[in-house]
Amino acid sequence: MLTEETLVYELKDGNTRASAFEVLVNTYKKPLYWHIRRIVLDHDDTDDVLQNTFIKVFRNIEGFKGDSKLYSWMYRIATNEALSFIKSKSKILGQDLQGYQETMANNLEADIYFEGDAIQLKLQKAIGTLPEKQKLVFNMKYFEAMKYEEISEILETSVGGLKASYHLAVKKIEAYLRSN
Amino acid sequence: MKELNNKNPFKTPEDYFEDFTGRLMGQISEEVPRIKKSEGFTVPDGYFDDLHSNIENKLAGPQVKVIALHRYRKYYFAAAAVAAAMVLYLGVQWNAPQEVRFEDLANSDIEKYFETNEFGLSTMEIAEVIPVDELEISDILENRLNEENVIDYLNNNTDEFEELNLNTDE
Repeated sequence: MLTEETLVYELKDGNTRASAFEVLVNTYKKPLYWHIRRIVLDHDDTDDVLQNTFIKVFRNIEGFKGDSKLYSWMYRIATNEALSFIKSKSKILGQDLQGYQETMANNLEADIYFEGDAIQLKLQKAIGTLPEKQKLVFNMKYFEAMKYEEISEILETSVGGLKASYHLAVKKIEAYLRSN
Repeated sequence: MKELNNKNPFKTPEDYFEDFTGRLMGQISEEVPRIKKSEGFTVPDGYFDDLHSNIENKLAGPQVKVIALHRYRKYYFAAAAVAAAMVLYLGVQWNAPQEVRFEDLANSDIEKYFETNEFGLSTMEIAEVIPVDELEISDILENRLNEENVIDYLNNNTDEFEELNLNTDE
């Protein structure tokens, strides 16, 4: 396994770029896929966003300064891509973002690539009602088991703010599960 | 990277979909259930195996050149700008006002000005003019806020606890 610095170095070098990119894709495709899938919910949409994310990474690697970790940078790109994807899709459908997210969560029931049980479906519906920031923090903390420090670097928010968002998200989800 | 919890433990048993509704209803209980950390999302077979080559294909293809839909748009803008400038000039000439005095301003215009412009007064300067002691919250807000609205607002709009720290030094 290459170290991150070596990988970045090889990605920037024209001779090693192709093979380094393959390593990069194979290393990060799954975590990034699941990160995006939790935001956009649909498999085909996730596929589009994931491919765009890697393409952006490939085309912008020259500009990666190493101020943050490579994976934080990629997560940030993936998050931004996923959020702008759902924003533009909700606009096309003439829905507000909140309404769109709730519709998507409700559609999971009919999704052939969602095989969760009733409880998991209910949880996804509850997550669908959260404001964007709380939804991101909840998914990253609860499902991806990230540390607040890691989330803070990706979302560029203070740890205190993240804790508050997570706390509020959990409260809202509990309330939703109780009342539905 | 830690191993993410992304394995889907839920295979589809035979007749899964036929029985789905019945089982669904059976599983919904009154209590808040314990939720397992697997979410139930799945991916098509072989999806991750093909991903790299799919991306390679996209990268290998020519970058799509963005073609401006309205090539003459900038000329339209230029023409519109000239026309607007002329209309404005004529309008100003036509309505060339006599001396404007403060009394000529409608109160609504003054209010509008303060609503839409940064007028650069510090809170201290405002406090010197407005008798704060006699103010009620209802003088500022048209609608009464109930506690629930306030908490909802804070829930949705406050990212950081620090933002809520009021300055208590004064």
